[in-house]
Amino acid sequence: MKKWLFIVLLLVLVCPAWSKRYKVEDVPMVHLQDETRYVSNPDGILSAQSVEAMDEVLRQLEARTGIETLVVAVEEIEDGDCFEFAYQLGKQNGVGKKEADNGLVILLVRGERCVQFVTGYGIEGNLPDAICKRIQERDMFPLLRQGKWDEGMLAGIKSVNTYLTDYDEWKSSDAAEENLEGLLIMVGGFALLVFAFLLFCFFVVLRQTKCPYCKKSGLQRSNSRLISRKNGIKTNEVIYTCKYCGHTVVRQEQEEDDNYTGFGGGTLGGPFVFGGGHGGSFHGGGFSGGSFGGGSFGGGGAGGRF
Amino acid sequence: MKKISKLLVALIALVGLNSCGYNTMTEKEEAVNKAWSNVENQYQRRSDLIPNLVNTVKGYAQHEQTTLSAVLEARSKATQITVNAEDLTPEKLKEYQEAQGQVTSALGKLLAITEAYPDLKANENFKELQAQLEGTENRISVERRNFNEVVGDYNTYIRKFPQNIIAGLFGFDKRAYFEAEAGSEKAPTVEF
Repeated sequence: MKKWLFIVLLLVLVCPAWSKRYKVEDVPMVHLQDETRYVSNPDGILSAQSVEAMDEVLRQLEARTGIETLVVAVEEIEDGDCFEFAYQLGKQNGVGKKEADNGLVILLVRGERCVQFVTGYGIEGNLPDAICKRIQERDMFPLLRQGKWDEGMLAGIKSVNTYLTDYDEWKSSDAAEENLEGLLIMVGGFALLVFAFLLFCFFVVLRQTKCPYCKKSGLQRSNSRLISRKNGIKTNEVIYTCKYCGHTVVRQEQEEDDNYTGFGGGTLGGPFVFGGGHGGSFHGGGFSGGSFGGGSFGGGGAGGRF
Repeated sequence: MKKISKLLVALIALVGLNSCGYNTMTEKEEAVNKAWSNVENQYQRRSDLIPNLVNTVKGYAQHEQTTLSAVLEARSKATQITVNAEDLTPEKLKEYQEAQGQVTSALGKLLAITEAYPDLKANENFKELQAQLEGTENRISVERRNFNEVVGDYNTYIRKFPQNIIAGLFGFDKRAYFEAEAGSEKAPTVEF
């Protein structure tokens, strides 16, 4: 019995070291189970603590720039081609939003001693290949060479985050300036419109008060009489007297009858709302699965061996 | 009566062309053209990087004139061969591929000799160019593969019945694929 237990224990201990050669589809996608997680670490190369730190950085990155990242750290991959593996990880999982193609894949294969970044079509400009390479060589490789997997990966992810966030801010401040210009034009146009409208009103009033006899704008309402009330329209006969020459003008004016309640016309209203209702979704609290948006990749990025 | 029969023919043609996939054929053909232009763009991108790379290397490795001029020569030969997406015959594509393959191998030799110059390897400008070149090689392989996929889709479509009749009538021809050359299909042949 004891011997048995010993063998089982040995197997359990040995198994993790007897590492698996991953295929692209075998890599677990933790992001799909929990949208706040980005780092897939099936072989336990990275410590739980640093995985959490990386997730936090990448969460902020997505919140600020919308860029979706997938980090994978494995021991061995099937063909040993790091670029191809990282590219397929991005492509098959559709990392990045579909309309923006803003996915980013960061792969560490410890057995191959390689790091590979793959950038989606949409962020090739934000994170050029040369910058990827620079980040790897300056921030990651020196640490990775010493076997500091946690520190090396975290440093790289932080640099990527800083670079992308800076780029985004720089770009959006540029856009804000443009917006300001647009706003100014809009306000100017609006002011002009208001001015034209006022002018128009002024002329209408001027015309209405113009006396046909002395041509001065001196007509004032002096008397009025109701002639008809039909279908909700009141017709009044209004007498205007010119304050300069005393000439009188009689005009018939129509207006809506406020007291009218009848058939036809009117609006049917009421507190009826069809459909609608209060739907809403329930989050079970805790975890909600994320998804990748189906971004596409064109082979951007850089990689290297340390 | 004549008018009606004309109308009828037009109607039948409309329905017939639609169901036999004329429109789909056009869409697929357009996808092939687009994929081809993507391939060409990436080769162009590589071609644009070369003069800068050669100049940078020249500053450190004067004794490597033959290798450097081989790269430039291969480049200028390759830029002369352009293939229109409309006439992508196997021969023309092969010619194009061979010319670009020459550039790839010349570049490979150039980068191999740079190993002997530590000063050059430490040069920031050179590092960036190297990263860009590597990225471009990756992009080329991605776009080539994508092109082959799209062409495959188009070719299968036009050869199926009844589309093959329409394809024959309107001149939708089979397009050529990129073939795997020894060692050049896998993109990062240039190991840095």
